[in-house]
Amino acid sequence: MARRQRVTLLGGMFFGILWGGAQAVMPAILGLAIDRGVADKDTSQLVLWTGVMLGVGLVQAVSGIMRHRFAVTNWLTAAYRTVQLVTRQTVRLGGTLPRKVSTGEVVAIGTNDLSYIGGLMDISARFTGSVVSFFLVAVLLLRTSVTLGLVVLIGVPLLVLAIGPLLKPLQARSADQRHLMGALANTASDIVGGLRVLRGVGGEQVFLDRYRRESQAARSAGVRVARIQSVLDALQVLLPGVFVVLVVWLGARTAVSGRISAGELVAFYGYAAFLLLPLRTATEFGNKLIRAHVAARRVCLLLDLDPDVVDPAAPRPAPPAGSVLADARSGFRAEPGRMVAIVSDQPDDSAALADRLGLGAATVDDDVTLGGVPLTAMALGEVRRRIVVSDTSSMLFSGPLAAGLDVGGRGGVEAAMHTASAEDVLDGLPDGLDTVVAERGRTFSGGQRQRLVLARALTTDPEVLVLVEPTSAVDAHTEARIASRLRDHRAGRTTVVTTASPLLLDAVDEVALLVDGRVVATGTHAELLETDPVYRAVVTRDVSEVAS
Amino acid sequence: MSTGQRLPVADPAAVRRYARDIARRHPRMLWSALALHVLAACAGLAAPRLLGGLVQAVEDGTTVSHVDRVAVLLAGFLLLQTVLTRYARYLSQALGEQVLAELREDFVANALALPVGTVESAGSGDLLTRTSRDVDQLGWSVRYALPEWTIAVVTAVLTFAAAVSVGWWVFLPCLLALPPLVTGLRWYLRRARPGYERESASYSQITTTLAETVEGARTVESLGLGADRVARGDADCKASYDAERYTLRLRTVFFPSMEIAYLLPVVGTLLFGGWLYTRGQVSLAEVTAATLYVQMLIDPVDRLISILDELQVGAASLARLLGVAEVPDDRSVTGAVPVDEKIDAEDVRFSYIEGRDVLHGVDLDVGVGERIAMVGPSGAGKSTLGRLLAGIHPPRTGRVTVGDVGLVELPLDDLRGHVALVTQEHHVFVGTLRDNVVLARPGSSDEAIRSALDAVDAWEWVSALPEGLDTVVGSGGRALTPAQAQQVALARLVLADPHTLVLDEATSLIDPRAARHLERSLAAVLEGRTVIAIAHRLFSAHDADRVAVVEDGVISELGSHDDLVAAGGSYAALWESWHGSTTVVE
Repeated sequence: MARRQRVTLLGGMFFGILWGGAQAVMPAILGLAIDRGVADKDTSQLVLWTGVMLGVGLVQAVSGIMRHRFAVTNWLTAAYRTVQLVTRQTVRLGGTLPRKVSTGEVVAIGTNDLSYIGGLMDISARFTGSVVSFFLVAVLLLRTSVTLGLVVLIGVPLLVLAIGPLLKPLQARSADQRHLMGALANTASDIVGGLRVLRGVGGEQVFLDRYRRESQAARSAGVRVARIQSVLDALQVLLPGVFVVLVVWLGARTAVSGRISAGELVAFYGYAAFLLLPLRTATEFGNKLIRAHVAARRVCLLLDLDPDVVDPAAPRPAPPAGSVLADARSGFRAEPGRMVAIVSDQPDDSAALADRLGLGAATVDDDVTLGGVPLTAMALGEVRRRIVVSDTSSMLFSGPLAAGLDVGGRGGVEAAMHTASAEDVLDGLPDGLDTVVAERGRTFSGGQRQRLVLARALTTDPEVLVLVEPTSAVDAHTEARIASRLRDHRAGRTTVVTTASPLLLDAVDEVALLVDGRVVATGTHAELLETDPVYRAVVTRDVSEVAS
Repeated sequence: MSTGQRLPVADPAAVRRYARDIARRHPRMLWSALALHVLAACAGLAAPRLLGGLVQAVEDGTTVSHVDRVAVLLAGFLLLQTVLTRYARYLSQALGEQVLAELREDFVANALALPVGTVESAGSGDLLTRTSRDVDQLGWSVRYALPEWTIAVVTAVLTFAAAVSVGWWVFLPCLLALPPLVTGLRWYLRRARPGYERESASYSQITTTLAETVEGARTVESLGLGADRVARGDADCKASYDAERYTLRLRTVFFPSMEIAYLLPVVGTLLFGGWLYTRGQVSLAEVTAATLYVQMLIDPVDRLISILDELQVGAASLARLLGVAEVPDDRSVTGAVPVDEKIDAEDVRFSYIEGRDVLHGVDLDVGVGERIAMVGPSGAGKSTLGRLLAGIHPPRTGRVTVGDVGLVELPLDDLRGHVALVTQEHHVFVGTLRDNVVLARPGSSDEAIRSALDAVDAWEWVSALPEGLDTVVGSGGRALTPAQAQQVALARLVLADPHTLVLDEATSLIDPRAARHLERSLAAVLEGRTVIAIAHRLFSAHDADRVAVVEDGVISELGSHDDLVAAGGSYAALWESWHGSTTVVE
């Protein structure tokens, strides 16, 4: 990645060096101005050196902002490139992704890792500038006084190392505090998320007490951090201060003996104060390098994954439209143009079958065929175009509702909304189809979301549509309406529905009963009710109990 | 749904009032911290003075022992500054933690007291953002920005005072900084806030889109949304880039103007001081000290300015947190005591959005111990009526009463003793299963918890868990299935044991067959209690004493199952279609 950003990285480093250099020579100029201009009472020298000071200051200001601009560009390029790579890889992996990595980890790339990787690119320019300015100052010092130069060159790194041991307990305590703060934030979100539940049955006081307890624990942790952080803050005053005192003391003694001038003494003071900056940058660089490395590794792990289902090397020609979808393992068959329901005493079995019908299961096999051609032998894009599975995990995406429903851009949203009996959802929206859906469609109720997902699946209008429990969250009135409209909407195309609802089963052409993953009986809902006691037990246990 | 207004935001006066109030609560810590900071800054100001003297001495010719004495003095002041800084920092950080804890606890207490209607019309998203982002942001401001800013102000003021104390003339070069400083700052601050807000919003958008793509990866694949998601991600990056470009442009103008503002006084002091020195009006020591002081001013002034932004953001967060307390209560406790346990609704009308009633005059007499099922199409007003009957919302007109006292006239805690509501919302709180069940009745015995779980058919799976009731559930803990979560919600209700229960599709996520069994065993436990069940499945209606069909915001049919089926209305039609094949079974 760094290679592709070489130009901007180098640009950043160039201005970083210029900027660091300008800062480094500033004390020397101040010293010269005091020596030649003030102490010698030479006005023209004074004007000359203050003029140089102004000039160098301007160079510092300009190179500083240029360095910053390059740094931001580097940051952004790295961050955006990471987002784009992760998005593309996620899309490539599709259904494989949640099976191979935790989704939370991938999302964390977007929130944390992004800034770590960007942060490294950002600091690289400043780091280079710091290194250069450090050596520049060292040379300037060594030229005036070898002793002082060595004190600075050896002393400053020692100083930075001296702070090191304190950082460890601080990091431990901060981690502890962050952990508690995180837990506290979770408790608060939990309370807010469950506010309506609490209002229904009570328990607010219990939660408030719990929050107060956790909040106080987090406060104590914060105070523990403060105890050590304040020592560190004080050391930030003490250590450089010791150094300044030392340099001034040694410098002044040298000055008394006449080897250096008063102005050079002031310059020394300036150097000593300035040199802490590059060192702090160096420590920061070290930290960011480690973090960015970890982050980059996580990104690479994701990028290394391969989807479970891949295009075959030589795809077989696709069967003509209107082919039979069949599964050899379960014995399931869906004739073209028919609407078939799958019923199972284990809802998970029917969901798994639906998964396999759409080539979405973890283990890929050749048992599912379309028109006699195994799905695995067809081009993947072809399979996805012809067979669409809408399962219970289907998610609504944020954005304008119309575009979210009409994913193929083929239109027909209104007819689909009618079939899914979702017109009332639209009526409740201020801007109808133009309404912007919130993240994951979470402002909709479960039933509303399910109907919108159904409408979206219907709008894609594929040759074979597999719907998993499409009406499990809607009320009986609505379910009855959907059942009566679904078959007409899908006329001439194949539809597979997994359900146990009598309202829906009564509306399909054919029902397949699945026991232990195999189709044991097929027929219409009425036929099976009459002839198959197992089917009756699965579908109508509740009904028969009502009747009894 | 979130079509309504946002939660209020406190006005600046209220924020200032609150800040003063907090300051008044901790006078000792506050003043000691400030005093320590002032002393520490003073100790830090000794160095340039001493150095100036030293330069003068060197110039005039001095002895090594004088240099040693000055060095010892420098070291002494340094030590003093170190110790003072340590305690000043510690005290102010401890104070910050204290204030922060009070703030967030007040906020959560206020959030817990919010009327549910307000939360819903504003969307829980707004409240969640305040809970997470604003509390975080404020934490940052109170912990770092505020103390740093205070220190910067103290240091800047004292340093300036020290500089001027060297000689009044130092004042003049400092004026040079004002024009670029003031114009730059005004120009920048006016634009910075919206610019940075847009920038951070653009990053949340990137995160949101990425999270959706990742979590919906399956959907993306099965619907072929890949290209769209990639385009969306790229568009987010583009938007973010534009926002970044804008703020970068702001900084490109602002940063150099600040640096020039800092540079001018240093150069000016040196030049002016040097000129005065040549005229013999000031000493070399004074020129050196003055220049060093003016240079020392740069750091605190820079910090002061750069933190200004953050403080603004912190104040905005505080305003949002305090705003939650300003929501008016929708309950008016009168102290009236219900005469019996009978629930009544008279001519109830209700609207979420003004002018759009969802209930148009509902009357319902609920007998004590009666079981009423409410059915009807989505959006007809069943849930709204259920919530009014549970006293969650006050009706716009008409009355909902228990024992002739309006439900919203009862204090919340008393209300729950009468009526409780369980909806299909299956929020599982973070904590043990025990915590989740007992929340309405803390301190219940394990025996009582067990029988409550038993009544909702949940004891079997709970006891099968390795840690039983102590299993940690909720976000981050063991995941419960939606059905199990609903069972826990019902067990909560059983344990709370009010005389009237409103169940809004409380078993909708449970497998139909299991739900049927559950409702039976629940009914046995709730014998003698009044139950109003909003039904999703018709067998619940069949079991009820009376069925109320809610259509278009009114009760269109009311009577027993058999009566309604015989009457041949919309309930009969629905029953017929749902139940079409029972004849086969019998």
